[in-house]
Amino acid sequence: MQEQRVETRGYGRRTLVSAFLFLIVIPGTILFGVYALDDRKYYFISLLIILYTLLPFAMVFERRKPQARELMVIAVLTAIAVAGRAAFFMLPQFKPVVAIVIIAGVSFGPEAGFLVGATTGFVSNFFFGQGPWTPWQMFCFGIIGFIAGLLFRKGWLKANKRSLCIFGGVAAFFIYGGIINVGSLLMFTPSISREALLATYASGFWFDLIHAAATVIFLFVLSKPMLEKLERIKIKYGLIER
Amino acid sequence: MNQSGFAGYHPFINFVYFAAVLLFSMFFMHPFMQVIALVSASVYSILLRGRGAVRFQLALMLPLLLITAFINPAFNHAGVTILFYLKSGNPVTLESVLYGISSACMFVAVLLWFSCYNAVMTSDKFIYLFGKLIPAMSLILSMVLRLVPRYKDQIKQISYAQRSIGKDVTQGNWLQRARNGMTILSVMTTWALENAIETADSMKSRGYGLPGRTSYSLYRFDNRDKGFMALMLSLVTVVIIGGINGENSMRFFPSIKAAEMTAFSIAVYAAYLGLCMLPIIQHMMEAIKWRSITSRM
Repeated sequence: MQEQRVETRGYGRRTLVSAFLFLIVIPGTILFGVYALDDRKYYFISLLIILYTLLPFAMVFERRKPQARELMVIAVLTAIAVAGRAAFFMLPQFKPVVAIVIIAGVSFGPEAGFLVGATTGFVSNFFFGQGPWTPWQMFCFGIIGFIAGLLFRKGWLKANKRSLCIFGGVAAFFIYGGIINVGSLLMFTPSISREALLATYASGFWFDLIHAAATVIFLFVLSKPMLEKLERIKIKYGLIER
Repeated sequence: MNQSGFAGYHPFINFVYFAAVLLFSMFFMHPFMQVIALVSASVYSILLRGRGAVRFQLALMLPLLLITAFINPAFNHAGVTILFYLKSGNPVTLESVLYGISSACMFVAVLLWFSCYNAVMTSDKFIYLFGKLIPAMSLILSMVLRLVPRYKDQIKQISYAQRSIGKDVTQGNWLQRARNGMTILSVMTTWALENAIETADSMKSRGYGLPGRTSYSLYRFDNRDKGFMALMLSLVTVVIIGGINGENSMRFFPSIKAAEMTAFSIAVYAAYLGLCMLPIIQHMMEAIKWRSITSRM
């Protein structure tokens, strides 16, 4: 009961912080970019906006002083995703990260999904090398976990293979591919045009397709046993789903 | 662990330095500024990573530089000096070609700075820096970094145990192998989750999250760090003042116009050169000092 109250307060504060960021800080950043920066404005504005979206999650998570068990579950799921990304290092884009992040979101809720995704993006780059792409990857993985958790809670996403595979393929192709291509375009071209954007999407098409296929395959193989294991742990140790 | 040279300074200094040079090399498009950043980042990355860095630069960065330089004129047709027309009827302009080269240099310089960052800012430094600000998140970070090698070892152990009953990934036909591999991963996952709960309970019983607990840290902000910080910040200030006055910028469209050379702009370039070369100079000074100490013996 106590936990429940803290939880709702946390969400209320996040909504407030998000509202502040979306209504005041983001437009402010865009105006600042348009008037004060000339060359690198697109990359910086987008980077700052990405950081703003990561901020409320980190703040709420820190504010509510998470228990050791909760920390450990997030750390384990992240470590599995990082190890999975490292294990398939020789196959470009054929990675289980999105699949594991979706499973985390479905099993432990949208916030855990976001944290597992964002942390995986960050930590795995300690092994693969940090770069201007890190915040983009953090955001993409995180938001996929968040959406998976949210849709599952609303009942639109079912915990069965077919539903998860369809969502995983769509999320990997459209959400991850859709955002990361814009990011990579902005990294090396200072201005965007429609043709350049289309060319980036076209050149990224096969990579995104492989990524989506990998996500579907991994979800097909992993989702049932993983979800069962996580359910078992939750029941055995009384971790209440929030 | 590389703790000599610039990496031996306080993590805060390392972080501020890389934040500064990365932002500067992204923002300042003036050719002088770009050449300074590109050369310094390249030299420093060779200094840090040796022969591997040379191979990395020749095999990856050089082609990337050329490709990026060619992409811009294909999509960007602004500028007044038309060189020729493409088949599609769009003009290729001198300005967009130079702009492509310039943004390619910027991109490569940023990547090279990041390769230096990866060698200097190790994960323990990052966790130390952000441990106060985001304690729960940085605890997760350090746990994940610990868990990944641990899972590797555990997988090895499980696979030895499975081999003794003929169910390893090296045994049977390919379908059986795949199935055995899945079993090993499944054993691993169950073990990882159980182990996590055990660790968490152990943390709790030892008082994790109680007030008044301190943490061990290896780093001290000593006089050497203070001196370096003062020097670095004064150079950064000069460069930022130059940036505000437009000395570091370059206009590409519609026609090319760089900031003029004045005494002040030369001072700004010198400060930027000093800033970018700071770790390299430090490294050389340390080497000279070491040589003179050993030769006296």
